[in-house]
Amino acid sequence: MPLNIIVCIKQVIDPEIPASQFKIDPGTKRQVQGSHSLVISAYDQNALEVAIQLKEKQGGKVTAISVGAATAATALKSALSMGADEAILVDDPAIAASDQQGIAYVLAKATQKVGTFDLVLTGCVSGDWGDRAVPAFMAEELGIGCVSFVSRIEAKDGQVVLRRVVEDGYELIEAKTPVLASVISDDTNTPRYPKLKDIMAAGKKTIPTWKAADLVLDPDRVGSGAARVAITDVYLPLKESKCEMIKGDTPQEQAANLAARLRELKLI
Amino acid sequence: MPGTLVLATTENAGLTRNALEVLAGGKKLRALLGEPVGAAILGRELSAHVPLLFAYGADQVYRAEHQLLERYQGDAFASVMHQICQRAQPNMVLLAGDSIGREVGPRLANRLKAGFVADFVDFDLEAASGRLRFTRQTYGGKAMAVMQPKAFPVVATAKLRAMEPPTKEEGRTGEEIVVDVALEASQLKTRVLEKIQEEVTGVKLEDAKIVVSGGRGVRGPEGFKVLEQLAQVIKGAVGASRAATDAGWVPPSWQVGQTGKSVSPDLYLAFGISGATQHVAGISGAKNIVAINTDPEAPIYKVAQLGVVGDWKAVATKLIESCKELTGR
Amino acid sequence: MRFELTQEQQLFREMVREFAAKEVAPRAKQVDEEGVFPHETIKKMGELGLMGVAIPPAYGGAGADTVCYAIAMEEIARACASTSTVMTVNNSLVGDLLYRFGSEAQKLRYLVPLAGGRTVACYALSEPGAGSDAAGQQTTVRKDGNVFVLNGTKNFITNALEADFAVVFATVDRGIRAKGVCALIVEKGTPGFTITKVEKKLGIRGSSCCQLLFEECRVPAENLVGEVGQGFKIAMATLDSGRIGVAAQAVGIAQGALDISLGYSMQRVAFEKPIASFQAIQWMIADIATRTEAARLMTYRAAWLKDRGGRYTREASMAKLLASETANFAATKALQIHGGYGYIYDFPAQRLFRDARITEIYEGTSEIQRVVIAQHLLS
Repeated sequence: MPLNIIVCIKQVIDPEIPASQFKIDPGTKRQVQGSHSLVISAYDQNALEVAIQLKEKQGGKVTAISVGAATAATALKSALSMGADEAILVDDPAIAASDQQGIAYVLAKATQKVGTFDLVLTGCVSGDWGDRAVPAFMAEELGIGCVSFVSRIEAKDGQVVLRRVVEDGYELIEAKTPVLASVISDDTNTPRYPKLKDIMAAGKKTIPTWKAADLVLDPDRVGSGAARVAITDVYLPLKESKCEMIKGDTPQEQAANLAARLRELKLI
Repeated sequence: MPGTLVLATTENAGLTRNALEVLAGGKKLRALLGEPVGAAILGRELSAHVPLLFAYGADQVYRAEHQLLERYQGDAFASVMHQICQRAQPNMVLLAGDSIGREVGPRLANRLKAGFVADFVDFDLEAASGRLRFTRQTYGGKAMAVMQPKAFPVVATAKLRAMEPPTKEEGRTGEEIVVDVALEASQLKTRVLEKIQEEVTGVKLEDAKIVVSGGRGVRGPEGFKVLEQLAQVIKGAVGASRAATDAGWVPPSWQVGQTGKSVSPDLYLAFGISGATQHVAGISGAKNIVAINTDPEAPIYKVAQLGVVGDWKAVATKLIESCKELTGR
Repeated sequence: MRFELTQEQQLFREMVREFAAKEVAPRAKQVDEEGVFPHETIKKMGELGLMGVAIPPAYGGAGADTVCYAIAMEEIARACASTSTVMTVNNSLVGDLLYRFGSEAQKLRYLVPLAGGRTVACYALSEPGAGSDAAGQQTTVRKDGNVFVLNGTKNFITNALEADFAVVFATVDRGIRAKGVCALIVEKGTPGFTITKVEKKLGIRGSSCCQLLFEECRVPAENLVGEVGQGFKIAMATLDSGRIGVAAQAVGIAQGALDISLGYSMQRVAFEKPIASFQAIQWMIADIATRTEAARLMTYRAAWLKDRGGRYTREASMAKLLASETANFAATKALQIHGGYGYIYDFPAQRLFRDARITEIYEGTSEIQRVVIAQHLLS
C-alpha cells in the first residue's frame, strides 16, 4: 500500500562542535551560531531515512516540513536530495519564539494543511534543546496514535508494525494509520548521503513558505507569550577538566600502569 | 488532595527504581511546599504495592486497575493518568524520564493544558520570589537551563538517576483511592504485539558501579567480546556508544548517551569512544571516566580523569591480565 | 561580481564534508601509516558521484560542474590527502581525458565504470628521463596490423598498482617530438605490461606510485584515444584540468592544517594559558587562513573559467602554484604550532606536512607552473 509520509525536521547548529566553542547569548538564552554550520538534527535524518525506505518499498510520497528561519530551506533541500518528494517551510516571526508545545501545534496545523497522511515521523530528540516532547504533543494535537523511540517500521494491510526500543529490549507495536512515530537510530536507518546528481535535482525544486496566516493559527498558542514555562537562565556548567595521562611505551606498560592507578584509587 | 502526583511504574511484581526516584522527587516537593504527595499506580492486581508506596513516602495512592492496563500502552496510560489528574487536581505531576514517562508526560501536559518540563535534574525555590524552578541539562549536556513555571499545573519528567530512591519508612500509611477506570479497547490506537527482552548477563548497565564501554574505535562485534571479558573480571556491565549500536555490533539497549541510558558508575572505562556530545550527555553522572583512544585530540579526554593514548584492544587485553593479577580473580 | 556558491554547491559541500568527516577522516591515519589503498572509501565515493563529478550522467558521472569538483577535492583532501589523490586521477586526469577525447565505445567501456568508482585508472605520462617534458616521450609505439605495440618505461605513475587500466602516452617517432605522441588505453593484465617497482614515498602513502614496463605490449587499435599524433594535445589539455584538481587538493590540505592548528592551539596550555592567546601563534594562524583563502579563490576561479568554456591554462597554473605553496606553508606552520607533538606520529600535523610536499611537484612542478605563467605573459 502506498504511504503518504510527513517528516518533521529541525535545523540546528551543529551539535558536535567542541564544548570550548559552545556559547550562549545571555540576552536570548540561545546558542550563538558564530561560524558553526547548521545541520538537520541527527535523529530527524534517521526519520527521513525510514520514510524514504518505506516509500521505496511501498510507493507513496514523502513530504518534509520544517518550522524555522529562512535558513531552514537548506535543511529541506537536503531532505529533497535524500529522496523526499516535497518540502514545506513554515517561517513566520509570530511563531519564531514559540516553545515546544507551540511548535508542535504549528507542525500539526501544517501537517493537516498538507492533507492526507498515513504516517508522521519525527526524530526522537532534537540536537539542541532536547525535550523529546514535540512528537507526543503533536500526536495529541492531531488526535492520532503515538509511538516513541521507533527504529523500524513495516507496513502491511492498512496497518503498520513499529519496533519501539525500550530500556531492556524492544516492543513490536501494531497501529492503524494515521499514526505518529518518533524515530531512534539503529543499524537499518543510517541516513544515506545524498548523491550528487540528486543534490543537483533538488536544487531545482521550489520550497513553498507558509506563514501563520496560511495555517489559521490561534495567536494565543504561539510565540514566547504562549509558553507556560519560562526559561529564566541558560548557563554553562563549570567543569574542571584535568585528564591525567597514563604513561607507558607499550600497550602492556600502559595497561599495567592503568590497572595500578585504578587499584590505587580503589576503583577496582 | 495531593499537590503532587507521581506515576509509579511496576515491573516483575515490584516497584521500579524509576518509581522510587520520582517518589523522592515528590517528597522533596513536599518538604519545599508542604503539599502532600499522591502516587498513581496503573496495572492489574496492584494491592500489594500500596503499602510499599506509603512506606516510600506517598500520602495518597491512586490505584487504577484495568485489564487494558496490564502492560504499558500509551493511549491507555495517558487517558487514565488524565482521569486521575481530573480527580486529584495536582499542581505538579512527576514522571520518570524513561520510555513511559517521556511519552505519557507530554501527552498528559497537552490534555491538562499544563506546562511541561523535560528531564529535570533538580529543583528548588528561588530565594527572592519563593517560586519553584527546575534545573535541567540542555544542548546535549553542554549547558544547563533554569525553567520556571508561569502557571500550574505543570507536568515534569525527572532525568533518570538524578534522584536517589527515598529510604523506606516501614509502617507508614496513607489514603488509598481506588480509581474507577473508564477505558475501552476502541480508544487504544496501538497494540503491543510482542515484547522482546534482551538478555542481561551480570549487572544491569544503569545500576552498575563499573561500566566498560566501547565505541566506533572497537570496530566490530568481536571487539566487544574482549570488553565483555574485561567487564566480567572487574564485575562491570558493558555499554556502547551510539556509533557501535547504530552499526549493529551490539543491541540498542546497550547504548549509553542522550538517546540511550544515563549511567552514573564509580568507574567508566571508555574504549575507542571519541566523546561525541550525545554520548557524554549519558555519562555526566560517572564519578571517574577513563578514556582509551588512539586519537589524543578526541573530545573524550576533556571529560576524562584518566587517559591512555594507544590501541584500545592491546590495552584492554593487557588490562584483563593485570586486573586478574591485582584482584586475584 | 558574486563571490558566492550556488545553493546546490553549498549543499554539495555539506554532503561531502560530512562524508569526509565520517568516512574518510577516521581512516586517514591508517591509510597513511600502513600505506593501504582506500578501496572501500573509493567505492562509496563512486556511488555518491565523487569519482566523476563533472562527467555527464550518461557516462556514469554526476553531471555537476568543475566548481563542484574543486569543492569535493578540497573537502576530501582536508580529511585525507591520499584519498583525494585517487580521486583526482580518476576525475580530472583519466575521466576528463576519456570524456573529451575518447570514442563513444571507449566512453561506455572505460569511462562509465570509472566515473562510478567501480574501477580505478592511472595516467602514464612521466618517464625516467622526462617528467615535465611531455613532448620528449621515449616510450615508443608502432602499428602492427590491427594492434599497437608499446615499448618503454613509465615512472612515478600514481595508482598504477590498483588501476584496472592505464592511459599510456608513447611516440611513433622520437624525432618529431610533440607531433608523434599517442594516447592508448592499456588494460591490466595485457601481456607485456608489468609493474616493475612500487616506490616508497614521503607522503600520499595510501596511493601507489609505480614504475611500469612495456615490452612488446600489444594493444588493440580501438584503444587509441583520438588519433595518432594527438597525444601531446590531449596530455596538455588534461594537465590543465588536472591542475585544478591538485590546486583544490592543496587548498584542502591547507584547510586541514588550519583546522588542526585551531583545535590544538585552543586546547594546548603553556604558561597557564591556551597557546592560542599568544600573538606568535595568532599570527601563524592568521597567515595560514589568509593564504588558504587566497588559494581557494584562485582555484574556484580557474574552475569557474573552465565551466564557462574559456581558456584557463594560465589561471589553473597560477592556482596550482599558489595553492601548493600555501599547502606547504600551512603544513609547516601547523607543525610548528604543535611543537614536539607536531613531529610525532600520534598527531596528524606530520602527515599533512609530508602529504603537502608532493603538491609542488606532481602535475607540473612549481617551476613548470612559473614557466607556463611567464610564457602566457610574454607571448
